Amino acid sequence: MNPHELFFEPTLKQITTWSRGVILIKDGRDVSFLLGEAGRADGKYVQAYENYVDLPDRVNVPVTSFARIASEPIESKFLYENYAHDVVVVLEESLVRSPILNMIVGGATLVVNTKRDPEEIAKFLPKHPHLKQIVCVDASKEGRSAFTLSGQEGATDATGIGGGYAGPLAGAVAKATGIVTLAGLKKVAKNPGACEYGFNTCVIADAQQIFKKGIGKEWKGDNPPQTVWEVPFAGTVKAPVDRNFGMVTNTWRIERPVLQEELCTQCQICMLNCPDACIKLTASAVEVDYDFCKGCGLCTATCPTNAFSDVPELDFVS
Amino acid sequence: MAVKTIGAFKRLLTGCGAVAHGVRLSDVDVISTYPIRPYTGIMSELARMIADGELVAEYLHAAGEHDQLSVVYGACAAGARAFTGSSGVGVTYAGELYSPISGERLPLQMAIADRTLDPPGDFGEEHTDALTFRNQGWIMGWASTPQEALDNTIFLYRLGEDPRVVLPQFNCQDGYFVSHIADEVEVYDEKRVKEWLPPFKPLHKLDPRAPESLGPQISPPSGPAMQHQRKLAFENVRKAIPELTESFNKAFGRHYANWLDEYMTDDAEVVFVVSGAHALTAQTVAKKLRHLGEKVGVIRLRWVRPFPTLELRESLSRFKAVGVIDTNVDFGCPVGAGVLTSEVRAACFGLEKTKIVGFVAGLGGEVVSREEFYHMTHKLQVVARTGKVEKEAYWLPFDLKM
Repeated sequence: MNPHELFFEPTLKQITTWSRGVILIKDGRDVSFLLGEAGRADGKYVQAYENYVDLPDRVNVPVTSFARIASEPIESKFLYENYAHDVVVVLEESLVRSPILNMIVGGATLVVNTKRDPEEIAKFLPKHPHLKQIVCVDASKEGRSAFTLSGQEGATDATGIGGGYAGPLAGAVAKATGIVTLAGLKKVAKNPGACEYGFNTCVIADAQQIFKKGIGKEWKGDNPPQTVWEVPFAGTVKAPVDRNFGMVTNTWRIERPVLQEELCTQCQICMLNCPDACIKLTASAVEVDYDFCKGCGLCTATCPTNAFSDVPELDFVS
Repeated sequence: MAVKTIGAFKRLLTGCGAVAHGVRLSDVDVISTYPIRPYTGIMSELARMIADGELVAEYLHAAGEHDQLSVVYGACAAGARAFTGSSGVGVTYAGELYSPISGERLPLQMAIADRTLDPPGDFGEEHTDALTFRNQGWIMGWASTPQEALDNTIFLYRLGEDPRVVLPQFNCQDGYFVSHIADEVEVYDEKRVKEWLPPFKPLHKLDPRAPESLGPQISPPSGPAMQHQRKLAFENVRKAIPELTESFNKAFGRHYANWLDEYMTDDAEVVFVVSGAHALTAQTVAKKLRHLGEKVGVIRLRWVRPFPTLELRESLSRFKAVGVIDTNVDFGCPVGAGVLTSEVRAACFGLEKTKIVGFVAGLGGEVVSREEFYHMTHKLQVVARTGKVEKEAYWLPFDLKM
């Protein structure tokens, strides 16, 4: 028997949550721990943890956290990530531009915190053949983000689980997948009403039907993790001289600075303030490098002629 | 100041959170801290407990790990129950303090959530940080779950402060795998712990009313006698561990083995010897392979210092092939694997039938996968069948291409 078949865990459900460093870290962790604790209340075997390799202390950086729920004891206990996602939960809509559907399994569910509808979200997704449903829920209607730095780095969060965006999103997961029950969620959540709100108001759409209409991007296959057989002598790396494509940071961006060229006086104040040196002088104005712009908003804030405005990233389909 | 009582509860906790509760329940007096991943969760959790009135203790934020250990060194010398912790290069930076602390017989506790040294300097774990100081006179053992990390915290204070022992303790857990993955943990009622762990009564302490000097420089002729004391103390640890484990199990409803946590070894043909969390992965593989009729056992070492020499020798004499998992580096060591392989081989010296193979796995914090255990098992089965060791040390993944 090949070891992959031998070690397959048929009852294991893997839920992966995408959120943003610092600003949404608590809500992201809460989704995982709320689903985990609800699974425990339902009598299941569970695990919950945050990604250890991400850089959670960088504002806006995409970070992941995980819940794993099974009817039998979990055998694959010590992994850094989920590698076969049954559910992907997205805390902030512009994260759908990240590789969120990589390695999803057949019949997978995507849950997005957004005011937009599933068809609009699908525009940004690869047409992944495994994606069964797209679920949209507007968590901001039921409450604000539960921002806190308590509970970082594996410590206990003293503020309770599921008081912010996590409740509606976990409620939507319960409705769309049945992996946990609404009763289980309400037993453990700080704001049980929010779970109920998500359960009742989420919009569930068939992903493949939407893709069939031609909406969505081309799917180029999954990128499974690879064994590293070799590194350069003593791990030496060449320093990037100009643009480091190993560290593209455009997925950090929630809002994009858009320039009205006729207002630009080429005073270069934005260039001085840009922490990532992403702005260059052109013949008539300035130009933003959208591969590396993190959307921090400093250019918009410091421009003396208000030539920049911040526009939600999902208003652009590139 | 009155302490807020929380009582007993069960919830998902990481190893970091669990150790912090162990420290709270052990009612420590002085805590010194300095942040480094993955240990940081322990110190931030303790800070929260103090802020929320769940623990009353002096909390000193040091300027670095060398200072951090110096603080608890002094605090424990003054009679305080003291706690500190670190990871990776933090553990090595404090290196100078370990021998004086054990030599002056100060039974303080240090939690280590393992992290690699540089390189690779990633956040992943290797046991190298703690094992580097295995010869410094500290009791040393690994927890395999957050629950065991909490239990070991309480257990080690009682063991270290036992008047026959009086030694400091490294309370180790695998970085990330135990320290950061939440698991169900039973946190005990304060009273129940207080009954089992009496307050710290130092034999000697710094006290201006009865001045004495701890750890003065001595002349060479007194050297052998001085070192001999720690040797004798370690012999007493060997006696105390079985006694206290039985007592702990009874008091808290646990089932910990004294030295060796054996899994499916009764009729096993080959066994793995593992320390720490990867033992649990080995166990799931052993269980799966039973269904296919392959008899694999797992022996988890609960303590590495003192090393369970006699117990291991007796146990391993039953098996033809033993695979030792080394999640550490010991470049140029006798067998070419890691610290544990060398030590298991030394413990089994002269056992003709028991063949020992070292597997260096999980370096840099890489996952030791079930597939790898499966393939290691097959290498061991060949050794058991033929009685011949083709290769004494395997470095994964290079020497075990799957």
